Amino acid sequence: MNTQKRVIMVGGGLAGLAGTIRIAEAGLPVDLFSMVPVKRSHSVCAQGGINAANDIARQQGYSEYEHFDETIYGGDFLQHQPPVYEMVHWAPKIIDLLDRMGVPFNRTTESQRDLRLFGGSLYKRTHFAGATTGQQLLYALDEQVRRWEAQGKVNKYEYWEFLWPVLETDDSGRRCVGIIAQDVRTMQIRAFRAEAVVIATGGCGMIFGKSTNSVMCTGAAASRCYQAGAWYANGEFIQVHPTAIPGADKLRLMSESARGEGGRVWVPRTKADRRDPRDIPENQRFYFLEEKYPKYGNIVPRDIATREIFDICVNQGLGVGGGNMVYLDLTHLGREYLELKLGGIIEIYRKFVGEDPALVPMKIFPGVHYSMGGLWTQYTAKDDLRGMAMGSANSMMTNIPGLYAFGEVNYQYHGANRLGANALLSCIFDGLFCGAGVANYVLEVVTTTSARLDQSVYDAAVRQQQEIVDRLINGRGMESPYQIGRELGEEMTAASTVVKSEQRLLQAIEALQQLQGRYQSIGLSDTGMWTNQNLCYARALGDMLKLAEVILQGGIDRKESRGAHYRTDFPDRDDANFLKTTVAKYDPDTGRPEIFLEPVETGLVPPRARTYGKVAASTETSRPTETVSV
Amino acid sequence: MASIIAGFLDRHYFLIRRLHSLTGVFPIGVYLFPHLATNSSIVWGKLLNESKLPAGQLESLGIAAHAGVETFQHEVNFIHSLPGLVLIEIGLLWLPIAYHGLLGIYFAGTGRSNVDRYRYQDNWRYTLQRITGYIGVLFIFIHITSLRFGWTYWGLMPAFDPQAAASSTAQHFQQSTLGTTFIAAFYLVCVLALVYHFANGLWTAAITWGLTVSVHAQRRWGYVCGAVGLMLAGATVVSVIGFSRLDIDAARQIEQVMRNGPAGAARHVEPGGSDVLSASPDGRDP
Amino acid sequence: MVAPTTEALQTRSVRFRIKRQDRPGLPWRWESFDVPVEPGANVISCLQWIAANPRTIDGRDSNPVAYDAGCLEEVCGACTMLINGQVRQSCSCLIDQYAPKDGDVMRLEPMSKFPVVRDLMVDRQRLFHALTRTKAWVPIDGTYHLGPGPQDTPQSQQVRYKLSECMSCGCCLEACPQYKLEEHESRWDKAFIGAHAISQARLFNEHGTGNVLASDRLETMIGPGGISDCGNAQNCVKVCPKDIPLTESIAAIGRAVTIHSIRKFFTGK
Ligand SMILES: Cc1cc2nc3c(=O)[nH]c(=O)nc-3n(C[C@H](O)[C@H](O)[C@H](O)COP(=O)(O)OP(=O)(O)OC[C@H]3O[C@@H](n4cnc5c(N)ncnc54)[C@H](O)[C@@H]3O)c2cc1C
Ligand code: HEM
Ligand code: SF4
Ligand code: SF4
Ligand code: FES
Repeated sequence: MNTQKRVIMVGGGLAGLAGTIRIAEAGLPVDLFSMVPVKRSHSVCAQGGINAANDIARQQGYSEYEHFDETIYGGDFLQHQPPVYEMVHWAPKIIDLLDRMGVPFNRTTESQRDLRLFGGSLYKRTHFAGATTGQQLLYALDEQVRRWEAQGKVNKYEYWEFLWPVLETDDSGRRCVGIIAQDVRTMQIRAFRAEAVVIATGGCGMIFGKSTNSVMCTGAAASRCYQAGAWYANGEFIQVHPTAIPGADKLRLMSESARGEGGRVWVPRTKADRRDPRDIPENQRFYFLEEKYPKYGNIVPRDIATREIFDICVNQGLGVGGGNMVYLDLTHLGREYLELKLGGIIEIYRKFVGEDPALVPMKIFPGVHYSMGGLWTQYTAKDDLRGMAMGSANSMMTNIPGLYAFGEVNYQYHGANRLGANALLSCIFDGLFCGAGVANYVLEVVTTTSARLDQSVYDAAVRQQQEIVDRLINGRGMESPYQIGRELGEEMTAASTVVKSEQRLLQAIEALQQLQGRYQSIGLSDTGMWTNQNLCYARALGDMLKLAEVILQGGIDRKESRGAHYRTDFPDRDDANFLKTTVAKYDPDTGRPEIFLEPVETGLVPPRARTYGKVAASTETSRPTETVSV
Repeated sequence: MASIIAGFLDRHYFLIRRLHSLTGVFPIGVYLFPHLATNSSIVWGKLLNESKLPAGQLESLGIAAHAGVETFQHEVNFIHSLPGLVLIEIGLLWLPIAYHGLLGIYFAGTGRSNVDRYRYQDNWRYTLQRITGYIGVLFIFIHITSLRFGWTYWGLMPAFDPQAAASSTAQHFQQSTLGTTFIAAFYLVCVLALVYHFANGLWTAAITWGLTVSVHAQRRWGYVCGAVGLMLAGATVVSVIGFSRLDIDAARQIEQVMRNGPAGAARHVEPGGSDVLSASPDGRDP
Repeated sequence: MVAPTTEALQTRSVRFRIKRQDRPGLPWRWESFDVPVEPGANVISCLQWIAANPRTIDGRDSNPVAYDAGCLEEVCGACTMLINGQVRQSCSCLIDQYAPKDGDVMRLEPMSKFPVVRDLMVDRQRLFHALTRTKAWVPIDGTYHLGPGPQDTPQSQQVRYKLSECMSCGCCLEACPQYKLEEHESRWDKAFIGAHAISQARLFNEHGTGNVLASDRLETMIGPGGISDCGNAQNCVKVCPKDIPLTESIAAIGRAVTIHSIRKFFTGK
């Protein structure tokens, strides 16, 4: 057995890879686990770009501080401010680093890195590589990890699914000492030892059935940690992106960069206008975002744009052809410009819809996109709150020592609403900044190496997972996991996305409990023990059901509206009671979440009203009143 | 043994592959130009109609002049007059061909055509390159052994006589037990295959060596190679037709006149017979 | 409500003939399923339907077909398979285009150049191994802040960006007549490396710092299984879903190795 101290990284998206690189660089071997080859991680989907203060914006009065302020304002003041402060100050350095790694950022004629506008900012501060920025960043990190792998410092376990963290309790308390994982091809279940485990498993869009996420984004890994005792925070904050194209199997994103580059959102002024959009004259088009938000126009933050689109379609019935769609118009931008700046998404639209966005306005509608919530984590602020203490061992550590959360699965940085192009930043920042903390924890804090721990700890954990598998394989029930999964998605989308209400959420909890009941009697059509995807899905479904409850319960308990969380019965922000993090603790006896609120560190920018310069609209109401789904 | 060869191949893999590419173009490919030019002279020589024989010599014998036969014989004579011909043949032709051909067979075996699934024009091009390569090995073997070493393949391929170049070649085409059409068709298919193989090889060689990088450059070079191929194909067709239809007796008499003066034409000598071999190589100047 | 549900859609049925194999070493078989398809359906949505309703056309209960998928928008490369005999991504394969009429048949098979894990899922590890062989990375000094990377013109950025879009899907390898199935890892270092890796060698040789490893990469390209094994069939460029100029990369690396080997001949390194 290898007695050297080592770290387990679960997840090979941007966060996992960045963390792997930093930890390997600190001299520790890393075992990198991913359900899919890391190069195919969900981060590959990110399109629009990554934010950072830059020289041009600086000369217009922008700086890291404005980036910080925008992020907090965009997040409706729900984030702890020191980590955000640190992150935005790292942003320009991260861009430089990515540049050095060879990311082909778009260039200006003078060979400078090109910039574009993005939601929630009036300054160009988004760096991009065509419209496949996430892909380009992921590949750059993947290449660096391959380099470490070639040197034997990183071991990849691709097609291995994380099943459970192994916890060990001694006099000093409980800590994480490894994981149980399963090879999803051979179905072998095994324990892996490590001094620290980082969870970087991304979002949970699959809980909503169709979303802009990849199929692995079930949130199951986070849910397993939660069930093992890690806290889950702000689950109710789910970002619904305003511009996606509906599909049979997923909602494909049309990046915010389409609007950042000048795309305009509109609907015909008359209801159910069935004319070809190109035949509708300018004065009969309702550019509702531009009219209501003259300052930000089409680049208001996502929660606002989404609610406005929802309002136009659902409450006012102004959607295209009377349906649930609005136009996102790029036709005035010219083909060459579009190919250069937005090629990737233009291609997606063309492939999946069969129309050319350079010629015809795109038809889009909001889709579930991102989870601001995630595993609860800690940090050590600098004394003046301006940033985090470098190398602190608790940086983004969950409430379980030795168990960390990086990336989308970490609840920090984005508060109640994430600004576009800040996620890629937070993922890489977590990896680079907090990776150093993980290394310090392992090297300096951990005294007993996991290699010296008793095998029985691991054996017991393996047995527990084996039992779950056996139960699923041997279940003879008639319920289909796919059916339950579909119903879960439909219910969650209907009850807990753009607009919510107590009554609807309670109804959803009830529906969820029924689904959980039915889950107990599922039967698998595949009971073999080789590459059984049926089993993997069914197991993840059980964990999704648990996490769904956290999302719903958080929504019920948060009796206010803030950022992406909009309650028709409590339409205003309530700082007095809810400028707090919702923290969910799993109760093993009831199987239900126990929720408590934790204050937010707002010591740098005091909360202010979040209006984005909204003016009275030409149409009467802009506040969604419906909660029913369509 | 196998492992020694494998080790050698591994170490010099690139050199071996590039030599293969090189030998395809030069000398073998380049050789095709004079070779097909010579062969087709049987027709273009006639068209140019510049008989060098003294006027009236042939008429006195009652033979129609055929400048093609003269030109062809003249070209062949030139080649055979080269000092150390065998060495040149071995060094510049047979060895390179053997190298290119044998390795070609081996390399062709490393690929597996899939035109059934991917019916792209380029894929056909690739596949044909392999097929024409195989045809080429077979053909070149038969061609050299019969026309150079006199293997007659049980009468299927009457042998070549450098002294009576045109007539013996015509015999090779016309006096096979399989009939003129068969041999003509055989030549046409095989030589056109080789012409294709060369033209396409010229095109791919430019990629292999990195001369044509952009798609545009590749396309433009494609036109050039196409033109080269068409030219060689034209020469091939012309040669085959020319020899298939040549009047053997008349040709032989012209050759004899060239070799021995008008008197010689009366003697009837079997091609390849000792009589001929003892004669002076230069027909005009005995 | 988020995604608009289209009103009661007219569905029709398409027959899927799927080549199945339970695990390596076991014999394969064909299984057929009739799947109701809505407009806009793609192969993945049909496979999802089959997973939920795994009953063959002769009424036999089967089990979900194993396949790889990730992004569902043709950027991750996971879902590559043979559809009606040709390689492509299944997520972007719209049924309306492939099987426009009721009762049309679609044939799904796993890629043939990689070992089958199960059904439509194959093991493409060799493809990633090729990236290691090519040293497809920029050897940076570390993650500390050392200022920006090398200057890059928009023209050069456009060239690199295009090359960098390769999603390691393997289409170019599947369609290549020179690329063959190699089950055993021990053979990977000498077997043909494939168009994608040649193109990646070009990508990193074009980068100011990546260039430091250029001669290592060219040495790999010169060796057995390197660029010489390409037979210029140019299938790769036609099947590449990202329109990566693979044949240009092949020629560019061809040129680079020509120069490299001549220089090596005269300078000894
Ligand atoms: C369509 C789209 C476009 C976006 N565009 C942008 C943008 O322009 N700018 C921006 O800033 N953000 C954008 N985002 C958000 C951003 O892409 C994500 O938040 C970010 O990529 C998440 O990265 P991650 O590293 O946390 O996780 P992921 O990239 O999701 O990676 C998760 C990893 O964990 C592994 N994993 C998961 N579960 C398990 C398990 N149980 N066992 C083992 N491994 C597991 C997976 O295999 C994967 O390797 C976009 C998101 C989407 C959906
Ligand atoms: C004798 C039998 C022959 C065989 C079996 C053969 C086979 C081949 C094969 C398989 C290739 C492709 C090599 C590769 O792309 O890696 C090839 C290339 C080529 N062959 Fe031949 N060949 C033969 C004869 C000839 C002849 C007679 C010529 C000349 C007319 C010729 C000219 C070429 C050329 C120019 C190339 C291109 C080399 C490159 O791509 O760099 N070959 N040959
Ligand atoms: S050009 Fe080369 S790599 Fe591409 S398909 Fe042909 S043989 Fe394969
Ligand atoms: S080059 Fe194209 S076909 Fe080949 S792996 Fe990359 S994206 Fe796929
Ligand atoms: S699922 Fe990612 S390419 Fe098809």
